Amino acid sequence: MQKSSSSSSLGPGGLDLTQAFFKPIQNTAPPSPTARHIKISVIGVGNVGMAIAQTILTQDLADELALVDAKADKLRGEMLDLQHAAAFLPRTNIRASVDYSVTAASDLCIVTAGARQLPGESRLNLLQRNVSLFQTIIPTLARYSPDSILLIVSNPVDILTYVAWKLSGFPSNRVIGSGTNLDSSRFRFLIADHLDVNAQDVQAYIVGEHGDSSVALWSSISVGGVPVLSFLKNQQIKHEKESLEHIHKAVVDGAYEVISLKGYTSWAIGYSVASLARTILRDQRRIHPISVIARGFHGIEGGDVFLSLPAQLGRDGILGVADVCLTEEEAQKLRHSAQTILELQSQLGFVVYP
Amino acid sequence: MEKSPSSSSLGPMGLNIAQSFFRPIDKAAPLSPTSRRTKVSVIGAGNVGMAIAQTILTQDLVDELALVDAQPNKLRGEMLDLQHAAAFLPRTKILASVDYEVTGGSDLCIVTAGVRQNSGESRLNLLQRNVALFAKIIPSVAKYSPGSVLMIVSNPVDVLTHVAWKLSGFPSNRVIGSGTNLDSSRFRFLIADHLDVNAQDVQAYIMGEHGDSSVALWSSISVGGVPILSFLEKQQIAFEKETLENIHKEVIESAYEVIRLKDYTSWAIGYSVASLARTILRDQRRIHPVSVLAKGFYGIDGGDVFLSLPTQLGRGGVLGVANLHLTDEEADRLRESASIILTVQCQLQI
Repeated sequence: MQKSSSSSSLGPGGLDLTQAFFKPIQNTAPPSPTARHIKISVIGVGNVGMAIAQTILTQDLADELALVDAKADKLRGEMLDLQHAAAFLPRTNIRASVDYSVTAASDLCIVTAGARQLPGESRLNLLQRNVSLFQTIIPTLARYSPDSILLIVSNPVDILTYVAWKLSGFPSNRVIGSGTNLDSSRFRFLIADHLDVNAQDVQAYIVGEHGDSSVALWSSISVGGVPVLSFLKNQQIKHEKESLEHIHKAVVDGAYEVISLKGYTSWAIGYSVASLARTILRDQRRIHPISVIARGFHGIEGGDVFLSLPAQLGRDGILGVADVCLTEEEAQKLRHSAQTILELQSQLGFVVYP
Repeated sequence: MEKSPSSSSLGPMGLNIAQSFFRPIDKAAPLSPTSRRTKVSVIGAGNVGMAIAQTILTQDLVDELALVDAQPNKLRGEMLDLQHAAAFLPRTKILASVDYEVTGGSDLCIVTAGVRQNSGESRLNLLQRNVALFAKIIPSVAKYSPGSVLMIVSNPVDVLTHVAWKLSGFPSNRVIGSGTNLDSSRFRFLIADHLDVNAQDVQAYIMGEHGDSSVALWSSISVGGVPILSFLEKQQIAFEKETLENIHKEVIESAYEVIRLKDYTSWAIGYSVASLARTILRDQRRIHPVSVLAKGFYGIDGGDVFLSLPTQLGRGGVLGVANLHLTDEEADRLRESASIILTVQCQLQI
């Protein structure tokens, strides 16, 4: 196994303790080639990439973690900072390089590289900067890990997942975007907090664009199995459509609020992506609202568009999309969300090299 | 229970779904006053404080987490960012305020507040700036959680732990500094990496000042129970004392290296402190090298000085200090480390 090259005082150049420290037993053989070794690569060691990497490490999801970034010093600093925690963590091989060869044979590649969303800047405004970046990143990543699952986090995530799909040449089940997994978490938090219940007992999806045109599926929200809208009706609790829209707006604004307060978001997206990583790598077959190729669902046509739908995830990536019942209004909003993304997407110019 | 005031669209002002969503059962009674809720407060929401808070949260160590900082916007942003992860975490109440009242009733208070160590700045140079800050922080923390364990992370940690002890009025067993817990982890990592073993099988302490005068206890390093120095002797592997000193120097240097490369350290100290938090809150009675009142140990006299010794920790804080066998040279270096800290301490006015 390759050693971390962090010490020059220990080893062939300095003090070599390894000789005869452990003695092998008789009649051994090298490890079986089928021995499982889970490797995750994280591209981009900014606040989001590092929160994801650190959460994955704490939750013991990988045997090997590779970090890639364009800034060599920052990258090495982050790698060392994680390695220094070795006494407190399960043994994980942590490596870092500006060279993508370090990502070879990954089971999951998580792309967070991209310009940071500025206060007030909508996700769609980041687009052009990030598309050019992806042209340098994605083909190389795909070449080094041809069987990997590709998980895109960079914003605007829906379009960039489409771009990554095109540039990688991967089948659609192996290219996903973090999408509205986090928006849905924020939504579930707001409802759970109000009701004083555990957010994990709140089933609530926000689907569509991870952005301003996302759609809150009020008709399918339930708490401990109790559908919320029918509950309101049974209890004759009046509510205005506007109240529901305000709550949804609070979710959409949630990210912008954190960005305006602390400059960026990191922790929540870190947990959100680690949750997706766990479902994929441990073949949990759970349903997550994530950005997938949505053509053909709920009347979405007009082109290949990625947006968030409740999708079942496992070791092979997307296993299928849950057939959640939408009201006509929700379906219309979803199609409108798709349209918004497609319009922007069609303005993109990028080349896919064979 | 107090709600997070994060949404005004849900609740009495907006849409109130809460009424009759759950119906109580017959003949219920309120919570027993003896029911335990574990609460940790983190003072300072910078890179170190937040890495600690987030690691504690991920490891499910608390029921309640309070954050305090002087900058209200940054503080609120960090609190929201943690709360938004609710769907992925065990239910934990997360509070934040510039007012120390939010820390009331804590079992453990972790102080990370302070100015960041600049590239090239030695830990001792930070001191004067941080002492003034502590004079405002510590008495409030102590007032709101009189039974808490106080853990100091801010640098220079040994002197500031002493300062916190004085300012809080707490007994010495309830005031500790994160000390060399992390230095020892870095040390164990270097050795483990070289030997291709798990760092948790490497027993190795760095003691004394969390800083330039720390002491590597080579005579007590063992791997899987095999003492390193006797191993080297038996295998007739020649080594120079200088080589051992270089390895130790690398450990001291490594924090400065990370700061040079990424501007600050965060992840490793986060895990290090979470590890201490777990030992304390779950009464694990494990031995950690942490900064404690060292007077009377290993011939250390001359004043009340805090520095890192192998300390058994549990729910009540410090249970005792392990009685390691030190070589004369190691004991000398430890006393010298104590002396260096005391010299700086004497110049302080608390």
